[in-house]
Amino acid sequence: MSLLEVKNLKKVYKTRFGGNEVEALKNVNFSVEEGEYVAIMGESGSGKTTLLNILASLDKPTSGTVLLDGNDFSKIKESAVAEFRRDHLGFVFQDFNLLDTFTLEDNIYLPLVLAGKSYSEMNARLNPIVEQLGISGLLKKYPYEVSGGQKQRAAVARALITEPRIILADEPTGALDSKATDELLRLFRKINQQGQTILLVTHSIKAASHASRVLFIRDGEVFHQIYRGENTSEQLYQKISDTLTLLAQGGDRR
Amino acid sequence: MKAGFYSKLAIDGIRKNRRMYLPYLLTCVLMVAMFYILAYLSNAPFMEYMPGSASLQSVMNLGSFVIAAFAVIFLFYTNSFLLRRRKKEFGLFNILGMDKHSISRILFWETLIIAGLSLIGGLGFGIALSKLAELGLTNIIGGDVSYEFTVPGLVVRNTSIIFAILFFLIYLNAVRHVRFSNPVELIRSENVGEKPPKANWFPGILGVLILGAAYYLAVSIENPVDALVWFFVAVILVIVGTYLIFIAGSVLLCRILQKNRRYYYKKNHFISVSSMAYRMKNNGAGLASICILLTMVLVMISSTTCLYFGKEDSLHSRYPRDISARIDFEHIEQAKEDNISLVRDTIDKTVRENNVNMSNVWDYRESQVSGMLRDGNVEVNADDTLSVNYDELVTVHFIPLEDYNRMIGKNTILSEGEALAFSVKISNLPEYRTVGGVKLHVVERLASLPIDATSTAEMIPNLYLVVPDLDKTLASLSELVDSNGNRMLITSWYYGFDTDIEVAGQIDMRNDIREDLGQMNEGDQGGFTSYSCESIAAERDDFYGTYGGLFFLGIMLSIVFLVAAVLIIYYKQISEGYEDQSRFDIMQKVGMTKQDIRKSINSQMLTVFYLPIIFAVIHLGFAFPMIRKLLLLFGLNNLILLLTTTGISIVIIAFFYAVVYRMTSNAYYSIVSGARE
Repeated sequence: MSLLEVKNLKKVYKTRFGGNEVEALKNVNFSVEEGEYVAIMGESGSGKTTLLNILASLDKPTSGTVLLDGNDFSKIKESAVAEFRRDHLGFVFQDFNLLDTFTLEDNIYLPLVLAGKSYSEMNARLNPIVEQLGISGLLKKYPYEVSGGQKQRAAVARALITEPRIILADEPTGALDSKATDELLRLFRKINQQGQTILLVTHSIKAASHASRVLFIRDGEVFHQIYRGENTSEQLYQKISDTLTLLAQGGDRR
Repeated sequence: MKAGFYSKLAIDGIRKNRRMYLPYLLTCVLMVAMFYILAYLSNAPFMEYMPGSASLQSVMNLGSFVIAAFAVIFLFYTNSFLLRRRKKEFGLFNILGMDKHSISRILFWETLIIAGLSLIGGLGFGIALSKLAELGLTNIIGGDVSYEFTVPGLVVRNTSIIFAILFFLIYLNAVRHVRFSNPVELIRSENVGEKPPKANWFPGILGVLILGAAYYLAVSIENPVDALVWFFVAVILVIVGTYLIFIAGSVLLCRILQKNRRYYYKKNHFISVSSMAYRMKNNGAGLASICILLTMVLVMISSTTCLYFGKEDSLHSRYPRDISARIDFEHIEQAKEDNISLVRDTIDKTVRENNVNMSNVWDYRESQVSGMLRDGNVEVNADDTLSVNYDELVTVHFIPLEDYNRMIGKNTILSEGEALAFSVKISNLPEYRTVGGVKLHVVERLASLPIDATSTAEMIPNLYLVVPDLDKTLASLSELVDSNGNRMLITSWYYGFDTDIEVAGQIDMRNDIREDLGQMNEGDQGGFTSYSCESIAAERDDFYGTYGGLFFLGIMLSIVFLVAAVLIIYYKQISEGYEDQSRFDIMQKVGMTKQDIRKSINSQMLTVFYLPIIFAVIHLGFAFPMIRKLLLLFGLNNLILLLTTTGISIVIIAFFYAVVYRMTSNAYYSIVSGARE
């Protein structure tokens, strides 16, 4: 059984007066295996943000199912959704979404505190993670006192500390300079190599080229996918680039 | 066309921000209405016929001044909230090419609209409610109800002018804010990434010290009238201390809570404590303002209610008998039985003619002198009257032993040079003392004196001395004259009694007695130089007028202050709601449930909510001795009544406060949780 299974996913938005319908997702099918590192690519308006919101249980599909470890998202009660998200999913956002009222340390603790964990347990989990992410010296600082790359690493730590089944990352490199981007992507690979499943949504070829598989979405459907296989990141980069050119030219599926 | 454009933008801006503007508008309306009502009451024609109209009008006049002063401070304060929210919009206009002059024109229209609406609304409500207020006031005071309805043009004009000036000032302030900031600043003004304040020990400790000093002053001031300056110092210190403690102290408290990991890393406390710490600096000022307003309301309500319900007590302590007459003699030697009996017979005759039975008769002589109390002795010097030191001032009353014995029906015997002493205020009464050079041996300190209860109400301490032979004992004192050539020793005869007739008859009889005394005085009969005759019935109107007026004013001002407190709470919650919106959004993304939000708000409420009311009650507690002393000045010495009114006021205000906080925290919740879904 796959870790994450997406079947016949469809999402229709209605305009305010119920006149026009916009089909954001037509029919999306894919699955993610445990330990995979999957990147989803697509242009603006291709439906990738809608897809991520549904995977993050922030939005509900019009039809179709999402299964995590065989659990159907639509079967989770409204009141338990937040809890489910907290316990099973980890998030990394483009704009970090750190709270400026908290130190980095407290920001990282946030999901655990919400889950009602004791301080000693939280502290025990914290140390190895911040060691690995190289932010152990910054824990007492506030978000406005550190750089963008450091903020994003704190956000990654916050996602990792709940030991989620899967990490959902939405354009995590979008607000970073190239050096910080490289560092973050290296970290993602390292985390993935330790067995963490990651799903990344991006339109940065560079970010996608670190993944083990790249899915392309166009007009609300999975249009194409590329496996890394034995390719290096550079080779994968080239392949992605070619595919995108093809997509832009409006070519059909190979 | 152009003007239409700006006014349209202004109307749009107000409509879009109605969550902020509506309460502001309502406050403006309320302020105008309140000002109108009080100004109306101090000028209205019906007031001429009210009992105690003069004192009542001055009380209402004072009230309208207080409202106007408060309106200036408070409307500026609330307007700053509005401005903060509008700045972003103005910044956008500015970037899109609207110059600051045009923005000022929008602001002008906005102010004009708000001013117009609040003046129309306020005057409308004021006029509509003025009759109601008038009926309420007449009811409280007990005057005759008139069915006329008047709208004095003068009051309408004054109200309009005063508030027009106020709104113009607010407009200038808003223009100043826009003029002196650049568009980028304008756009960002609402979410400047401010640092969490550092815990600062110094202002916190300073606040505690200042508040302690204020409390000490409040409790240790013996006589609020002598120490009026210190009284105001105490009030100002309380205000400063409260602000410091709420601003610095609360940051400190949050930091301490954060250090306590067991407490801090709990779901309910984690978010509330950190966000409180983050905004305590602004928050503290708001909380302190709420606390001060609540304190004012509590002090006003408890004291004026006590005064109002204790007005009979107060009246009786000032005028212990239905009718009381007094004649003053030029020299102590004229205060002899032959003179006095002449007057007494005349009064008795008048009483008989009125078919009245006297009871509880007071009939005694008294010599009175003012002096300086030094080491238990009283020094009487003519020079002292030139530069009075109020701390040492004392009034000494000498009562002849025979009159004392007659009044209490005893047969105390004193030999020459001996005296009985009584005083409420003076605690140090040595056995041997001199009064203006007269040596006296105080053989007994009396626990009570059956005459003259006014002593408890007076500002200057009184010392009563019962001596065996008045003119012999005071022979040396009676020759002293002050710098104006007047004798310093005043000798009087008091004659007071209760009657068995109703109010109108009492007043008539008082007039008759006055007439008698006047005729005797002109005819040089009875040997007295001046006279007075008062009836409690005639004074009652004046008392009720003043006390009822104060009570009414206390309620009106309390309403205004309470509304102000409510508005501060509301704006605090709303502006915090907008600030926190994005934070709660993030927290929901990482797995915070709506239930968690509720819980976190409640936890914040539990921590913060009680602080202002608790501090207000503590302030009230320390102000209590002062209130009691002030009420004593009004002749009110009813501790039980004061405790009752204070207790009830606290309960009512606390309940009201809780309801308001609940309601506004719902508004907060709907803002922060409405961000998604």
